Amino acid sequence: METTKLPPTSPSSPTTSFSVPSAEKVDGFPRRSMRRARQRRSHSSSQFRYQSSQVELTPLPLLKDAPVAELHDLFCKKLQQCCVLFDFLDCVADLKGKEIKRAALNELVESVATSRGVLIEPLYPEAIKMISVNIFRTLPPSENPEFDPEEDEPTLEASWPHLQLVYEFFLRFLESPDFQPSMAKRYVDQKFVLQLLELFDSEDPREREYLKTILHRVYGKLLGLRAYIRKQINNIFLRFIYETEHFNGVAELLEILGSIINGFALPLKAEHKQFLVRVLIPLHTAKSLSIFHAQLAYCVVQFMEKDATVTEYIIRGLLKYWPKTCTQKEVMFLGEIEEILDVIEPSQFIRVQEPLFKQIAACISSPHFQVAERALYFWNNEYILSLIEENCQVILPLVFATLYRVSKEHWNQTIVSLIYNVLKTFMEMNSKLFDDLTASYKVEKQKELKRDRERADLWRGLEEHQDRRMQMLTEAARNQRNLQERGERGDPPSPSSPQTSHSDQPELKPSGASSSSSGGGESAT
Amino acid sequence: MDAYKLMKELRVNYEQEAHYRPKETGLRLIESTTEGDSRISAKGRNAKVEDLWSLTSFFGYSTQTFVLAVNLLDRFLAMIKVQPKHLSCVSVSCLHMAAKVTEEECDLSPADELIRIGQCRFTTSDLCRMEKIVGEKLGFKSNAVTALTFLHLYHQIALSHSTDRKESLSLEKLEAQLKACLCRISFSKAKPSVLALSLLRQEMEAVQSEDMLEIAYHIQRHLKITDGELLLWSERVAPCLSDYASPECSKPNHRKLQWIVSRRTAQNLHSYRTVPELPTIPEGCWDESESEDLCEDVMSSGEESLSSSLGSDAEGPFFPLHLRRQKHLHA
Repeated sequence: METTKLPPTSPSSPTTSFSVPSAEKVDGFPRRSMRRARQRRSHSSSQFRYQSSQVELTPLPLLKDAPVAELHDLFCKKLQQCCVLFDFLDCVADLKGKEIKRAALNELVESVATSRGVLIEPLYPEAIKMISVNIFRTLPPSENPEFDPEEDEPTLEASWPHLQLVYEFFLRFLESPDFQPSMAKRYVDQKFVLQLLELFDSEDPREREYLKTILHRVYGKLLGLRAYIRKQINNIFLRFIYETEHFNGVAELLEILGSIINGFALPLKAEHKQFLVRVLIPLHTAKSLSIFHAQLAYCVVQFMEKDATVTEYIIRGLLKYWPKTCTQKEVMFLGEIEEILDVIEPSQFIRVQEPLFKQIAACISSPHFQVAERALYFWNNEYILSLIEENCQVILPLVFATLYRVSKEHWNQTIVSLIYNVLKTFMEMNSKLFDDLTASYKVEKQKELKRDRERADLWRGLEEHQDRRMQMLTEAARNQRNLQERGERGDPPSPSSPQTSHSDQPELKPSGASSSSSGGGESAT
Repeated sequence: MDAYKLMKELRVNYEQEAHYRPKETGLRLIESTTEGDSRISAKGRNAKVEDLWSLTSFFGYSTQTFVLAVNLLDRFLAMIKVQPKHLSCVSVSCLHMAAKVTEEECDLSPADELIRIGQCRFTTSDLCRMEKIVGEKLGFKSNAVTALTFLHLYHQIALSHSTDRKESLSLEKLEAQLKACLCRISFSKAKPSVLALSLLRQEMEAVQSEDMLEIAYHIQRHLKITDGELLLWSERVAPCLSDYASPECSKPNHRKLQWIVSRRTAQNLHSYRTVPELPTIPEGCWDESESEDLCEDVMSSGEESLSSSLGSDAEGPFFPLHLRRQKHLHA
């Protein structure tokens, strides 16, 4: 009987096969715990590739002790040292080497952060190379295939002790006062940026946080890459929306976009408006909206503040994509609408008020109390109230019937109280309009009751008619039977031939005679 | 009811109305009180009556209930000095008492519901006690002759005299106008019969019906209402009604109401007002395609012109036309 082999510690072959003894199988399949134990070992780090001949690192002298003439050379050597990758899968392997690299990275970070004159031209390619080697890797597939970003704990990157320092180094490098964009752009090119963007799909939030700040600086300083970055971000979003519905870095990318949108020059370029309509608004349809909704809403509102004419696109777009079955999303949409209304211009408001308040009325009548509450709470917002007041004649009729009906029918008492507040507010705004609507509402209700009564009467009448018909038919059938029996027995036919009564409308004579038992033979008269 | 009987009933009510009028001196005292005093002012009373109207409307009570409630309230306030902090309790008690008298049992809302919706600070037992006090002081049983009584009678009389007319007076409209008048304490000083007649006449003048005005004059003579009195109140009613009917919306008093939401909703309310951490990146005012960097990048990656990198199908059929046009409209 074989014992379960643990994966070999030497990382020479990334794919190792395991054999599971039959005792560990259930129904011929290995037990789930076995599977998970195996997978966890190989997937928690993305560093699948290792040098076949492990390079031994020798500690170099400290940077701070180096004489000025040798500083840059030493710096380069340390950078090259840091290009060696280590296996963090195995906690005990190469501890010495790992420590040397960690210390070197630390020194590099310190040096770039504090000293001046360190970044000379020959260092740029070495630095970018070191960074590339460390961070660019294929991200491992998620351990949990049904990873829910809201509920589950993310899988953290195992090699973070080194990776974090590499990111820190990159960031300080970009932020250094000696940093020359014109030199950097030769190495931080489109290919580099594309790989950087792909890393945003990492499950580790700490990594995404660094990437966000780094990409923000890259966008800020390397002007020639800006259009390319925007284009690639668009591609990522479009793939996310329409193809995969999976990408972990949407929130971070949106945060960067927020700061970009904030800085748009006026008048807004057509390209940006197109981005709003074709990417940002459809992004609201994603299932995992709750993760990045705050950032998305911020971007949308920024657009509005830049150029009020996009308001109509935004609101109509949101109304088009209004969630029909997911109430959690509905509450988010309502929050976003409130934020939008907070900054909307009155002239734009007038253009969208009708479809908007029809939707709000629908939300108020939602049986889900959070949706109704959120919609009703709009009336607590002073600016929105002033907009409503200016357009009271249009808005009140749209929501009036819903408010009244829901106040009588809703199960939730808080909602009923809120509706009272809203109705009272309307009453104070324009009492005549309110009274007119109340009167016509009552008239409508009366008409409805009348229609219901008439309909009930109609059905009752039909049922009664049906009953009568059934009665007559059974009578007629009995008459028929009686006659047949008499005929068989040879009874003389009675003077008034009941046969004539076998027409469509048999007379309902009060002759229990014709319907009595066969032995009667009584006359039908 | 035939015309003769109606007129007789009118007479009877007219003789009764004095019993149900609030003391004029008491009303004047309220009118002359300034805000912030230890006594109830006209503004305070008017605001409370508006609240009563909101509650009446919300619970689906009839105008009769409302008018009766205001009548009780005015009579009580004119008789007894009430502190402003008790005004809410007094008014809601009057409403509850009026509703018990006028409404069907099944339509009556329980007292605690009334208190909860009205956002009152007192309890049900407070309400009960206050109802007893008001009932005792006013000797209230179940009826009162109010302006609405007269309005109904006048309306019936007008109808019975002019059944062949196509336009008739709308009772709902008259009731709504009466309600608007009752929200101002000054109209409580009027005789109900005179107030109702003023409203009737205004409406008749509005529909420009000479026949109707004849009927109104007939009523006036029957009740021996003087021209002077009628004119006085008509002059006061007119501006009130034109205010009511004006299409302008007034700004509601926002602070009075409490907006209570559930905990979960409250938690999520302001979750978006976060200050972004990343500093703004200003867009270059020069066209990016003019920067020297472009040439190298274009050569290295063979991409199309950067400025239209996204908008390569900017001229295509999917590009909204108005977006294109608007670019030129911006200053």
